[in-house]
Amino acid sequence: MAKVLLKYKEAVVREFILEKETTTIGRKPENDIVIDNQAVSGHHALLKTDGDHIVVEDLNSLNGTYINGHKASRTEVFNGDVILIGVHTLSVSSNKNKEAEKKTFAVRGRSMDETMIISPDDKKKIISASDKDKPEPLGGFLVLEGSTDQKQYEFNEKVSAIGKEEGCAIMLKGLFAPKLAALVNRRKEGYFITPPGSKQLKINGKVIDRRYDLKDGDIVEVAHLKLQFYVNE
Amino acid sequence: MQITATGKTDLGLVRSNNEDNFYLDEKTGLLLVADGMGGHASGETASKLAVTVMRDYFHGPQIQFGKYNYSYSEATNRLNSAINFANLAVLEAARESPQLRGMGTTIVAVHLNGNKLSIAHIGDSRAYLIRAGSIEQLTHDHTLVNEQIKSEMITAKEAAQSAMKNILTKALGISEDTEAELDELTVFNDDILLLCSDGLNNMIRDEAMLDIILSSPHHDAACASLINAANELGGWDNITVVIGHIKKKKWHFALFKLMEAFRR
Repeated sequence: MAKVLLKYKEAVVREFILEKETTTIGRKPENDIVIDNQAVSGHHALLKTDGDHIVVEDLNSLNGTYINGHKASRTEVFNGDVILIGVHTLSVSSNKNKEAEKKTFAVRGRSMDETMIISPDDKKKIISASDKDKPEPLGGFLVLEGSTDQKQYEFNEKVSAIGKEEGCAIMLKGLFAPKLAALVNRRKEGYFITPPGSKQLKINGKVIDRRYDLKDGDIVEVAHLKLQFYVNE
Repeated sequence: MQITATGKTDLGLVRSNNEDNFYLDEKTGLLLVADGMGGHASGETASKLAVTVMRDYFHGPQIQFGKYNYSYSEATNRLNSAINFANLAVLEAARESPQLRGMGTTIVAVHLNGNKLSIAHIGDSRAYLIRAGSIEQLTHDHTLVNEQIKSEMITAKEAAQSAMKNILTKALGISEDTEAELDELTVFNDDILLLCSDGLNNMIRDEAMLDIILSSPHHDAACASLINAANELGGWDNITVVIGHIKKKKWHFALFKLMEAFRR
């Protein structure tokens, strides 16, 4: 007997045995397979079953029905095929395997089609499947040598800089200080430092002329300053 | 600091209507890009309405609306209030008319105050900063794939092929609880800001945008070249580009303004 597994990413929500000739899928409660999600149309699609011969038919749904990543209006599905409806998948399990692929698909993905939105609740369900949402790192520099206004600077902006230029997080003083000595970027994955243009800076005693990913404890030497990078976990 | 800005929007080569909208005001230092969505013509309505409401907010008394966020400055809270107003306006318009039901829009907004820039966004329209020859994305898309990358469920490579690339986790005008993501930045003389809809950044890489902007004689030309580049690669969606240039206020500007005032 053919069946489908309704999944939310990896988690199986329910198993449905296809015993009726027509199984309806949609958001409305009168459907055989109800998917309560904003991305799913009221009457989204149906499955026509005759033994192990299963055909998926999209009912002109707003966001479409996808078989193995390809948009489909009416397609036969086989054992192991994955039907994507909104953000849920239906995995097909039957005794009929697909024959060797006869034609290559040249279907444009949905990426450039209509934009759609899902509700925050659904998002939470999907995202919380793996609870690894890390907060952005927060760090800065301790001044080891050189004259600055403060002994410690926190870098909380996405892009900041060290230099004489107005607005720099660490302001350099003196006639010959460079306008921009280093750019510091803060990203979700961590901080990095870049010397602007043809300039150079020293990290842990080594000369750097391109982007460098900062690690806790790195010593940065720039324009008469010796700084130690720190990051709070 | 002051800002000079220019912007351009284009239908692209595939879509039959332009659902993008933008607004720029050098005087108040406000730049906006909105990318609408929804059936019929409602996407256009949503983005237009959001942009208009935000524009009017900065020409009005700028009252605080919604929760005050103490992690950010008053100026950033004002920008957030403007977005809250826009959210409610789109939501109510959608409720009143059955044709507009379900419409929504992305928004990316920057507002300059002295040398502080307030940044707010909802959805997948982006803001970039170009400083000292490098480009950095200032906003994180509110898309499902981006959240999946963040929580390490999929890799960036898988995301690029994902069938769910255009599913937003947030949009303006969909719910009362929608909140913008806020950020602040200290701007420098000669910083360049780029705001765009996904019709641009889905077609060309960040480095290519940077090259075009830095090699163009002026920002009007850069806007046109960016749109051309996106269209040459297919132009699958509406393309909107806004470029702002930050300049230090000089004393003779003040003098110039004073003379203008006298002349009137």
